[in-house]
Amino acid sequence: MPIGFVLQAAFALGWAELSALVFRPKVGELLANTVALVVIGVPASALLGVGGAWLVERTALPGRRVFAVAFAAPLAIPAFVASYGWASAVPSISGLWGGLLVAVTAYFPLVYLPALAAIRGLDPALEESARSLGMGSWAVFIRVVLPQLRLAVLGGGLVVAMHLLAEYGAFAFLRFDTFTTAIVVAYQATFAGPNAAALGLILLLLCLALLIAESLARGHARYARVGGGSPHPPARLSLGRLTPLAVVGAVCLVVASTLVPLTSVVRWLFRADATDLGDLASATTQTLVLALAAAACAIAVALPFAWLSVRYPDRLSRLLEGAAYLASSLPAIIVALALVATSLAFAPTLYQTAFTVVAAYVVIFLPRALVPLRAGLSQVPESLEEAARSLGVTPFAARLRVTVPLLVPAVCAGGALVALGAANELTATLLLAPTGTRTVATSFWSAASSLDYPTAAPYAIVLVLLSCPAVALMFAHATGRSLR
Amino acid sequence: MPLRLRRSLLAPLTISALLLTGCSGSGAADGSTSDDALVVYNAQHEELTQEWADAFTEESGIEVVLRNGDDSELGNQLVQEGSASKADVFLTENSPAMSLVEQAGLLAPVDDATLALVPEQYRPASGDWTGIAARSTVVVYNPDLISESELPTSLLDLAKPEWKGRWGAAPAKADFQAIVSAVLETQGEDGAREWLEGMARNATEYRNNIVTMKAVNAGEVPVGVIYHYYWYRDQDAAAEDSGNTKLHYLGDQDPGAFVSVSGGGVLKTAPHADEAQQFLAFIAGEEGQKILGEGYSFEYPVASGVAAKSELPPLDDLNAPAIDPSTLNGPKVIELMTEAGLL
Amino acid sequence: MTLRLSNISKAFGPTDVLNDVSLEVPDGTRIALVGSSGSGKSTLLRLIAGFERPDTGTIALGDRELAGPSSTVPAHRRGIGYVAQDGALFPHLSVARNIAFGMPRAARNVTRVRELMDLASLDHTLAARMPHELSGGQQQRVALARALTQRPTVILLDEPFSALDSGLRSQTRQAVVDMLERSGVTAVLVTHDRDEALSFGHQVGVLTGGRLVQAGAPAGVFDAPVDVRVAEFLGDMMLVPARLTSADAVDCAFGRLAVRHDRSGGAARVSAMVRPEQLRLAPAADGNAIVVGIRSTGAGADLRLRFGNGESPTEATHRVPLHTASRFPAGCRVQVAVDGGVVLYPSDD
Repeated sequence: MPIGFVLQAAFALGWAELSALVFRPKVGELLANTVALVVIGVPASALLGVGGAWLVERTALPGRRVFAVAFAAPLAIPAFVASYGWASAVPSISGLWGGLLVAVTAYFPLVYLPALAAIRGLDPALEESARSLGMGSWAVFIRVVLPQLRLAVLGGGLVVAMHLLAEYGAFAFLRFDTFTTAIVVAYQATFAGPNAAALGLILLLLCLALLIAESLARGHARYARVGGGSPHPPARLSLGRLTPLAVVGAVCLVVASTLVPLTSVVRWLFRADATDLGDLASATTQTLVLALAAAACAIAVALPFAWLSVRYPDRLSRLLEGAAYLASSLPAIIVALALVATSLAFAPTLYQTAFTVVAAYVVIFLPRALVPLRAGLSQVPESLEEAARSLGVTPFAARLRVTVPLLVPAVCAGGALVALGAANELTATLLLAPTGTRTVATSFWSAASSLDYPTAAPYAIVLVLLSCPAVALMFAHATGRSLR
Repeated sequence: MPLRLRRSLLAPLTISALLLTGCSGSGAADGSTSDDALVVYNAQHEELTQEWADAFTEESGIEVVLRNGDDSELGNQLVQEGSASKADVFLTENSPAMSLVEQAGLLAPVDDATLALVPEQYRPASGDWTGIAARSTVVVYNPDLISESELPTSLLDLAKPEWKGRWGAAPAKADFQAIVSAVLETQGEDGAREWLEGMARNATEYRNNIVTMKAVNAGEVPVGVIYHYYWYRDQDAAAEDSGNTKLHYLGDQDPGAFVSVSGGGVLKTAPHADEAQQFLAFIAGEEGQKILGEGYSFEYPVASGVAAKSELPPLDDLNAPAIDPSTLNGPKVIELMTEAGLL
Repeated sequence: MTLRLSNISKAFGPTDVLNDVSLEVPDGTRIALVGSSGSGKSTLLRLIAGFERPDTGTIALGDRELAGPSSTVPAHRRGIGYVAQDGALFPHLSVARNIAFGMPRAARNVTRVRELMDLASLDHTLAARMPHELSGGQQQRVALARALTQRPTVILLDEPFSALDSGLRSQTRQAVVDMLERSGVTAVLVTHDRDEALSFGHQVGVLTGGRLVQAGAPAGVFDAPVDVRVAEFLGDMMLVPARLTSADAVDCAFGRLAVRHDRSGGAARVSAMVRPEQLRLAPAADGNAIVVGIRSTGAGADLRLRFGNGESPTEATHRVPLHTASRFPAGCRVQVAVDGGVVLYPSDD
């Protein structure tokens, strides 16, 4: 639907006006910025993510247990909060390099977690046989470990790229213009104007190019079996003289990604006047209700999608899935504008209700639910349902009693991801929420964008606290550890 | 298999539908909009309007909820919503967004009694909306970086090559766009286009007025074009973001001395039309204007004869260009700025 | 009730998986369907279970049609038990809950679960264990006990022993056969293991390329395979060129032998099939074969024998027990006698 909205709006412009809007120096500048961001940001995130995962999982890095958690922690800090932390600590930080610094340190865990899960799922026997064939540790890492991480890294890299394309808040703080920030500016100037549509069209093409590139790079390979554990713990590589270097690197990463944003938030918190706790509490409640509703609905919508793609993998299901990915990689503002137009045209009673907000969250965050559900579903063999049916249980009851309970971990992981996204969502919430709704993120944003840092600080803290359970769940899912 | 497929899908889909309806139910119960509250689409500063709203609620018992946004954003949103809008009142910081809504035929005439409170130069002849406050364009500068004698005598100077990299503004914001509309009004389309091209070459773009002022204060750029009250407000507080800066008024009916009128209007389709008119009358009335004249806002009051804060130079002394607020052309400004690559 | 399959065909896309298969399994008997992978045996089982529908043909249990041109009974109403290759135990449920899964809510009780565990020779202490805490053999027995909760008239077993290692395998197989015997249920086993197929029950059916090429009592099928492929599939054999001397005798490398069964269909050139178990060896200076090689197998030795002379020598390998191996040194001439005659097949060339 958002895709249709962009296309319809772009075609309504007519070619002449569209080309006038597309082929102008400003768009070239935005394109250069956005492409540079992706081209530098994705490999950098991949490098940090894979390197971090390898350090904590396969080397004798001192303090690796702490680092293992610390590398995942930035996920609990929304990128725009990290950006606020950086911008208020070092006001001169801005532009491409500032944007990269903040975005990469905020997003590298999106590669780190899948890479960690993949490394844990690797059979150490493979690395051992490579060593017995006379390969050194580096050669083993590059020729044996890395190729097996390819899928995890590609998947994580794609997610990072999509985030980079769609992020607004973080870059707005740093005066770095991408397509998404320009679309939001165009929206502020003209609501659903022609400029927003033209920029949206280019962004849509960029996303499509990314998706195609990823699927080409993935080739016909299937996602590796994750988890299952290894029969014996792998030998850890001693870093020797490189140990201090590795420790310093890891510490720098943690400082840049977590400590700087957090300390500056805490610093502002102490300078905050007495915060209206009532406002904070009501914003927190509204955020929680919306986020949980979004999680439940996204899971409910994702289930049939996942079902189709696992049990009946054909062209149609792949098309549906691709469309879901594409729609969710568009900036939230476009999704929101599409929902405004649709609800006004077809269901005015739903306009500016919680329903449309949740619907937007579902569209934006569907893949977050889809990916773990699909993985979970593909690990529930159909033979279990058949066994249940042969025991005289109806197909529906079989699904309910066998498949659904086995999907619980995947449902939790997917739901947590969606709730996390929804709690941190900004632009669609502002546009679609019922008048008077204030979430933690929108309250934070309205204070932070008028540079009222002390007022914003408590909201930032709540955002981080709200994110923690979801991140813990994701970490547990990636490492195969049970939370109990 | 198609049959089996359909059946296997039916259950999850039903569950989704149930959940979705459940969500909307619970959401409505939780959402803070109660049906009898007055809905204000507010593009003014949230703190200011909240102050008006609280005082109004106290006086009349009518609850007010705000939907906050920017001038153009909310104005365009109202146009798109058309008759489906749930808005009662629209408040802007500048007049172009209000004119946009007026031209779409969405505004109801303001009560005559309210109009009578506002001098003619601060409201359109149509009477479909009224001015509620005003703000003046100023040049903020950092004396460490630029001497008084080097300051521009006209906003138009800033398009000249010697100003390359030496001034900043927030072109993405409706505030600055209103200033551009004054340039358009006084210089004509070609003059405005030329000036904007110069600006695209010379100016550093900031996110909003506060960030611009902060940048001047921090010495990132010697001069910024902003509205006056950001500076006075910060001076009144700790002067953290303006301590190193001074203000320069261009006067002389220069577009850079443009005084922008903030507007208030009532929607034709307002579900609470009477209450909406009451709210507007309250803002234009003495009590509402005193919130401007005495509160923290530092915007100029324009009605009921209420005086501005004593720190401010009187509005009538600013020698602003005489521009009818309802003639400012918002969409044309956006078009020209997009053309110049500023948007 | 007799399970009756008539003219069943099934294709997945362009591939024919089953082709005109007809089969009858009388009430209370056991049949093993054997075939190499891709022969369609698992699909046949899934058709009977109701997980797939046949393209043509009918499946009936007694007078009740389970699948046919007009109607299909869904899997859960067929009253047919099914044990999957890996047991398909529900990983989130304990042993007791797995067994109780298919019982109607009212009938779920400890006594019934214990009865079934007894039937499957499972220790009661296992009831609270989760599936991953069981050995492979135990898992299979739980799966079988679970399938029997429905008191099915027919139970289907899809290679239930293939995942077990060899010692456990025969032991589990025996336990399962005993259990089926005790419960008197009709059983269909699918396997690719010939010993398993031949020892399972009253009938064995051989599937090749989607066709049921032969079915009957195990001894009968083993004794008189319809063609060379079936013969080869069911046991070790030697195939030697032969010349028919009369209606019931042939000349071949072993000398003149009686014809036990003639499956050659009157072909001009025929081969004679002999099972190694039929051979008897004795050292003899004028014997009909020469030992050309010996390889120890621990418990015995494989002798490589060459029959005939000059133009068309035939070689065969024959295993002898360890204690007799020393009587056959390399180069020694032996007399090879064949008990029980040969089965004739048409020669390929």
